[in-house]
Amino acid sequence: MSLIDEDQALIASALKGSAYAWEKLVKRYELKIYNHGLRLTGNSSDAMDLMQEVFLGVYRNLHRFRGDAKFSSWIFRIAHNKAVDMNRRKRLMTSSPKFSTDDEGDEFEKFPGKKELEPENRLGSIEQNVRVLKMLSELSSDQRSIVELKIFQSLTFDEIAELQDISANTAKTRFYSALKKLKVVSEEQNVLS
Amino acid sequence: MSCPKTHYLLQEYFSEGLSAVARNELDRHLADCAHCSAQLESVLLAQQDLQQWQEQRVPHWDRHLELFRQEHRIDRPVSRFWLSWQWLPTAASLAMLCVLLFNVNVISNDSGFSISFAGPSASGSNLNAQLADFEQAQRLEMQQLVARVEGRQDSTSVQLLQAVMEQAQQSTADSFDQMYAYFEQQRLLDLQDMRAGYEQLVDSDYETIRSLQQLVNYVGYQSDIR
Repeated sequence: MSLIDEDQALIASALKGSAYAWEKLVKRYELKIYNHGLRLTGNSSDAMDLMQEVFLGVYRNLHRFRGDAKFSSWIFRIAHNKAVDMNRRKRLMTSSPKFSTDDEGDEFEKFPGKKELEPENRLGSIEQNVRVLKMLSELSSDQRSIVELKIFQSLTFDEIAELQDISANTAKTRFYSALKKLKVVSEEQNVLS
Repeated sequence: MSCPKTHYLLQEYFSEGLSAVARNELDRHLADCAHCSAQLESVLLAQQDLQQWQEQRVPHWDRHLELFRQEHRIDRPVSRFWLSWQWLPTAASLAMLCVLLFNVNVISNDSGFSISFAGPSASGSNLNAQLADFEQAQRLEMQQLVARVEGRQDSTSVQLLQAVMEQAQQSTADSFDQMYAYFEQQRLLDLQDMRAGYEQLVDSDYETIRSLQQLVNYVGYQSDIR
């Protein structure tokens, strides 16, 4: 049985009320969603909040999943929407000016914000992750989101464009801009180390 | 040295929808253009840096299982039997409340049960008489018990006293015997001492008499000489 079929079977069982199937379904995706949130927010607390919101959204809308798309795509769409919502809420709460203006209409702006991305304090146990988060913290939220979807989730530009409601060309441009910035940061880090 | 095609080509390099012809053209340009290939290499290095990410373990959480169980009662089926008897605790509570409020008395005897409400009744007075009889019988029994215990304690005390007296008498007799033996021994010793004293005195008297006789003899001898 393929992973997609297994997902479908678990969803069907969960919809019938099997807590075991629901738990198994969550276990299959929680690691990806949590690490996705960790890279986007830069801290485990927000990553946990995001993950819990994502799975709550999945739970509430599970009956609407028709199986037309992959469950993984569907769940990451929910994750994206939740991340946007979370960013919006944070922006309303802080109401501070944007710290980066690389792209217009940046819906992930101030998400998480540089102060929150203090990797040494959050993820000190894994050196590589600290380095990655330092690099990501130099990106705007939109760029970070595209890098996350392209490099870590291996989505195509068309899928990213559909998810973020932008054109594929915009997605490519943002991605390349992000890579150029990452290149500079990486070179700086190599010089310092 | 820069290349005007770098931005566009590298942007397309990561595009997955590139045709085979376009991909070949791009590869050819990268092979010829040192600037573009250097740029691509540094960008790929940055991408490689990002891919060093190690998946972090998810902290413990309940996976919304409690919510799931609350909303899906299927996992915890409730028997129809218990559902249909849910009124029972409420009814029992109500019955107990009535018993308390109306002061219900339930009497059980050989002829069966009798129930009365609100205070004492004929059955109640019978019960009081039975209680008085029972109390009287208990009191008598208690008195007999006390008397028996007292009697037993008296006999025990007498036996104890006798034993103490006997022991005291025996002890006193022994003491008298010892005292008698002591005094007897002392009397014999005194007699011996007295006898020795008298003998010594008698000896001394004999010596004195003998000395006097010698003196008399001497005096007689001297008178004879004159």
